[in-house]
Amino acid sequence: MDDLLNDFLAETAEILAEAGGALVAWEADPADRERLDAIFRLVHTIKGSSGFLSLPRVTALSHAAEDALDQVRRGNRPADGALVSAVLGIIDRLSELCDSLAATGAEPAGDDSVVIGALATMETVAATEPAAVEIQLRREDDLSAELRGWRSIRVPLPLLDSVMTGVTDIVLARNEFARMLRESGAGASVISSFERLSDSIAGMRQSVSQMRMQRIDKLFAPLPRIVRDLARDLGKKVKFATSGGEVELDREMMENIRDPLIHIVRNAIDHGIEAIDGRVAAGKDVTATIFVSARQSGNQIEIAIRDDGRGLSPDALVAKAIAARVVTATEARALSSREKLELIFRPGFSTAAEITSISGRGVGMDIVKSNVEKIGGVVELRNEEGRGLTILLRVPMTLTIISGLMVRAAGHEFAIPRGSVREILLESSDTVRIDRIGGGEIATVRGEPFPLLRLESVLGRARDHRDDVDDRALVIVRPGQGQSYALSVAAIHDQEELVIKPAAPMIMATGLYAGTTLPDNGRPVLLLDVQGILAVAGIDASEAGRNQDHGSEAAAEAMAARDAVQLLLFRDVGDRIRGVRLSVIERVEEVPVSALFESAGHIQVQIGGDIFPVHAGKLPDEQGSVKLLRLYDGRAVLCYPIAAVIDIVRLPDGVQPAAAPGLIAGVALVGGNPVELIDPYWLMEQYASGAAAPALRQPLCHLADDHDGWGDNFLAPILRHAGYRVASSDAEGDETPDVLLCLSGEEGAHDHAAGDVPVIRLRTAAAAAGPDDPTVYRYDRQALLDALHHHVMGGRA
Amino acid sequence: MMDKLYLVARIADTRVALRSRAIHSVVTVGTPVEVPAAPPHVAGLFALRSRVFTLIDPHVVIGLPAVAVAEGQRVIVVDVADHGYALLADEIEDVCFIEAPETRIAGKLLPGWARVAEAMIEHDGAALLVVDPSHFITLPVAKAA
Repeated sequence: MDDLLNDFLAETAEILAEAGGALVAWEADPADRERLDAIFRLVHTIKGSSGFLSLPRVTALSHAAEDALDQVRRGNRPADGALVSAVLGIIDRLSELCDSLAATGAEPAGDDSVVIGALATMETVAATEPAAVEIQLRREDDLSAELRGWRSIRVPLPLLDSVMTGVTDIVLARNEFARMLRESGAGASVISSFERLSDSIAGMRQSVSQMRMQRIDKLFAPLPRIVRDLARDLGKKVKFATSGGEVELDREMMENIRDPLIHIVRNAIDHGIEAIDGRVAAGKDVTATIFVSARQSGNQIEIAIRDDGRGLSPDALVAKAIAARVVTATEARALSSREKLELIFRPGFSTAAEITSISGRGVGMDIVKSNVEKIGGVVELRNEEGRGLTILLRVPMTLTIISGLMVRAAGHEFAIPRGSVREILLESSDTVRIDRIGGGEIATVRGEPFPLLRLESVLGRARDHRDDVDDRALVIVRPGQGQSYALSVAAIHDQEELVIKPAAPMIMATGLYAGTTLPDNGRPVLLLDVQGILAVAGIDASEAGRNQDHGSEAAAEAMAARDAVQLLLFRDVGDRIRGVRLSVIERVEEVPVSALFESAGHIQVQIGGDIFPVHAGKLPDEQGSVKLLRLYDGRAVLCYPIAAVIDIVRLPDGVQPAAAPGLIAGVALVGGNPVELIDPYWLMEQYASGAAAPALRQPLCHLADDHDGWGDNFLAPILRHAGYRVASSDAEGDETPDVLLCLSGEEGAHDHAAGDVPVIRLRTAAAAAGPDDPTVYRYDRQALLDALHHHVMGGRA
Repeated sequence: MMDKLYLVARIADTRVALRSRAIHSVVTVGTPVEVPAAPPHVAGLFALRSRVFTLIDPHVVIGLPAVAVAEGQRVIVVDVADHGYALLADEIEDVCFIEAPETRIAGKLLPGWARVAEAMIEHDGAALLVVDPSHFITLPVAKAA
């Protein structure tokens, strides 16, 4: 009996959540027959199971709701907001009953006549009105067909977990067995049948992890209801939509992001979306939109919550933060605009002018952020002030598996989460300089200083004498935004996908470890807490502070840098040894060959969301990856493909300059061998033309008398390419144009030249009317651009 | 009946009785993995099937110097607050029914034992301390030396 009741409760809780969302969706579109059927079916299911378990109150409630919905299905009463509210009332009451059923095991006594009555009174009102929507009739028995497809098997979670553990054990046993097989020198037939077993185990492991996955729909299900109720309370109109509900997420992850998600949605309605008159004043649609979408990228899930409300105002945030004593005025001035936005994540911060009953529940964005970070996720803000805010939650697909870098220190292995590792360098590398200052250590990597921590001393252990000094490596760790440090370890091993489990509380309490993991060799490994290590070591790893603190050390280094220009030696793709000044190299990238593509005769590369030109005549033939030097002149990036970095040396004094300007600036002797030096000036020049500097203000060019669209279709693209913004002179705008292009050549046809805006008139005839004709032939590209340049620059001077 | 089932073992140089329902299993361990910077009674980590267990040295909890873990040493596996722990045992004697009732501890114990012992029980003509393994997991608050 208990099992039956538990099944009923679990199923009903699910149904109620689903029904709430479905009802709200149905209210928005009452003609949606399918939705109505779905709701009816859900209520019907509750009624059926409760009758079997003899729960009279549940039965009566669901029966009443079913009746009312049936009236709608038969076209006897209209679907309106009042009816939906009444049915939602019943659903709420059912939830309450289920809660107390779960707690006490018995249905509490009580009176539901008010809730049921809400349905009944509506009916009399409804009867006097004509049916608002026409609903197509459907026979009862075609519902049963759908019911079968809708059902699935319910499995208790502990059983699922034990299957998961079992499979993990099998995998470990397999690994051990494989090792023994190799050592015993078993025959080929044994090996091959073992491989077959091994493959099927791998397949099984895959399916079992899939069993723990659930569609993210489930997470979205309660949201429509929350939006509807909250919007009603606040007198706002909100449309709610979701997408990507089919994305799957580990059940445990789902639990962890449920509350943050709900909180963000509530915040969006309460603080983000303006009151109706505010929206009218801002020229927006009265009905606001909240859009929640999920998508999978790699082994991460991105959940975006977008609203079209007022967005965040950095200045208002700062003022509020100062008032709430979250930051001081001095600190606030030093904040970048991004840091200003991120003030909302500080504890003790609340964006609303006053704490409202809706969002002021003691849960702030700081809790949201820490909850998401706890499961290895990140929260990002994309703010468009005045136009809306998008909050992006990025979480790993499964809670437990992360990519980890295995390192050694003091004779033990440790894992570092790969996501927070920025770079790995050998300590003996030329790019690394280590200074001891006042008992502390600083690692300078290509001019950038990092506080240096030795993992052995962090752990309070001596170095293992077996470790080779040449193996020592620096892991540049970025535990959070704007923080970084160098962690020195005895050796770097490989990278592995790790199943992370929490360690015992007293081990977690050291602050050094984030969990334990069991790699394939069966020996437990501790996962380092890169953030916690900072706190334990008591160092300030903030990058911002470092850059502002240009102390004597940095100044001395700058002096030294002036004295010695460093040269990066590399082997280029043609196997020649060449050099380039290190200071023009932003970094060395390694990208898959597939990231390179050809466009308009030029080779380009896509790195992240950016496209950069590549100095190459053709696409590489072979597959695999290619190393690129990223040259940066302060404005633009150019990628130069190389085969390998050789060394960093001091630029020799004697450079034999090349005869003519070109790719090679000259030749120098490095270590007795001639090295061709790349001329970055020439190189950048080759790719700089055409690309207008986006940072500068682009002059505005108005087109007048563009009656046949020639200006818009033929002229505007050329102007835009030359770095002008183009608009029609008829367009309303506050901005005074820098130049006016008059497309009909006749003098005084239109007096557009309001104020002192220079005017260029275009003529259609190729020949000039006279020696003093100021007009420009409209297909003389160079003359036109010259004239524009002359007028715009002249006007400024 | 289960209430009367006890594991008799020698831990931290003392014969004790542990209530069997508090115990998960008794296993042997290989070389554990050290946990640098952990509290002194944490003797390391070891894996049993796919779970990672924290090895506890009862000697330290009682106030004795730590002992080295020998390869193949037997440990008592317990679950406390959803985490798996194993107590190093000097010797596992027996699992047996003890019909005698648990009695209040008479006499004064060393402070270390007083914290972990809950009662006494008579078995085979000797008095054994009845200890709760979960008390070994946490270390007493260190006194200022």
